[in-house]
Amino acid sequence: MLKKEKTINYSKARQNYLKRLKKDKILVLFWQIAIFVIFLGIWQLFADTGVVDPFFFSSPSRIVSTILDLAHQNNLWIHIWTSLYETLIGFILATLIGFLLAIILWWSEKLRKIFEPYLIILNSLPKIALGPMIIFWVGSGTSATIVMCILICVIITTISMLNAFISCDHDKILLMKSMHANKMQIFFKLILPNAIPEFVSVLKINVGMSWVGTIMGEYLSSKAGLGYLINYGSQILKLDIVMASITLLCILAAGMYFLVSPLEKRYKK
Amino acid sequence: MKKLLEFKDVSYFYQTKESEVKALDNISFFIKEKDFSSLVGPSGCGKTTILSLTAGLLVPSNGEIKLDNQPIAQNDSRIGYMFQRDHLFEWRTIWQNIILGLEVQKKHKDTQKLELAENLLKKYDLYNFKNKKPRQLSGGMRQRVALIRTLVLEPALLLLDEPFSALDFQTRLKVCDDVYEIIKSEQKTALLVTHDISEAISMSDKIVILTKRPAIVKETLELNLSGNTPLQKREDKDFGKYFEKIWRNLC
Repeated sequence: MLKKEKTINYSKARQNYLKRLKKDKILVLFWQIAIFVIFLGIWQLFADTGVVDPFFFSSPSRIVSTILDLAHQNNLWIHIWTSLYETLIGFILATLIGFLLAIILWWSEKLRKIFEPYLIILNSLPKIALGPMIIFWVGSGTSATIVMCILICVIITTISMLNAFISCDHDKILLMKSMHANKMQIFFKLILPNAIPEFVSVLKINVGMSWVGTIMGEYLSSKAGLGYLINYGSQILKLDIVMASITLLCILAAGMYFLVSPLEKRYKK
Repeated sequence: MKKLLEFKDVSYFYQTKESEVKALDNISFFIKEKDFSSLVGPSGCGKTTILSLTAGLLVPSNGEIKLDNQPIAQNDSRIGYMFQRDHLFEWRTIWQNIILGLEVQKKHKDTQKLELAENLLKKYDLYNFKNKKPRQLSGGMRQRVALIRTLVLEPALLLLDEPFSALDFQTRLKVCDDVYEIIKSEQKTALLVTHDISEAISMSDKIVILTKRPAIVKETLELNLSGNTPLQKREDKDFGKYFEKIWRNLC
């Protein structure tokens, strides 16, 4: 009621401006949905008319029926749950470990200098190369996948958070020192809150990276999970299973991303 | 009025990878209690180093610095520091910014201190903004908040490191007046570092002119301009005379 009254009190120019903003928002949403629907429609049409071979390219209807088949066989939930569980554990552990490492390296400049080349090397190393070693160290299956997930996310988390910590305005640190703050107070009252927007960005990056880690881990050695399903589908030449798994992956990754994105709105103002 | 701050033959050397740099060379000067004093000198001559030494953030290589006849200590709570920019923490409200120093010094439950903070906010027209975030305030208001944040710690000496340099000219004149009025009405002693000769003359009772690095004290001027505010002091007939004298010393 109050909102309505406010709108009535707006000037003509303000009302037009707000109307234009709303119209733009609707238009963007319309085209986002339209592009998706058009893409699915063209894909289905090309598959039905033989322009593309559905054996290699599948089609939206075949993907839906494959997902339903898998659901009826009671396999789908195991695969989804396995991947989701591995990703969530990997995501949480990698973020925590990376964050703690960044705090330690911020705390001690000497340690930071000592470990700098190691961080650079570990960051540029393709983690998949460590796959066989991981299996030897922790065995195959879920634990190997979680370790792979952690390895992929942890270094980037450490580097990003450390950069956020050390890029804090030096004068603000001096201000805290002039108030006689100790290092702990400087960290908790300045460095940490100042780095929250970067932390939210790291969470968003880690959503994608942890899924990469899970799928890579499941490719290497697993008996369940969407990565396993993709691998299995390609080996028995059932590309519908591959496409169905990729579709499910998109939905799960997007779901995790949307869980994190409200944090961005809250802290990146 | 008694001497509050005294520099006696203070030298300071910076250590860099390449060499040792002499920033200050046997600097001696003093500041009287409740006076507003300024340091002027060429860029990079060591003005901010003098403030850092006074705040106890740096230790002099030679000489001694005394505040109220006591040597300056590290973490000396008798000194308040105001920087070039307001450095308000954007994630905190104005009130939370003002009591930041009290929190750090674990005095945020001291009702007297909190009362002082509230009174300062009321006195300087910021009380209605106490729950706002810094981004909702103008540049001048932000500087006033930064000054109040320093004042609630009740320092004996206020160090002002070019606190107006980030403001546009009009706001700068207004904020100069505001800050001057607050410092005078709270009867605080202040030491200002500035590049702006007019600003130094209009605000100060005393100006210490430094040479280029390694800085020595070239001349000390005691000013006596009529007017209650920096803006009014700019109208005094001797303003130009002081300006020329300082300008010549800096050239």
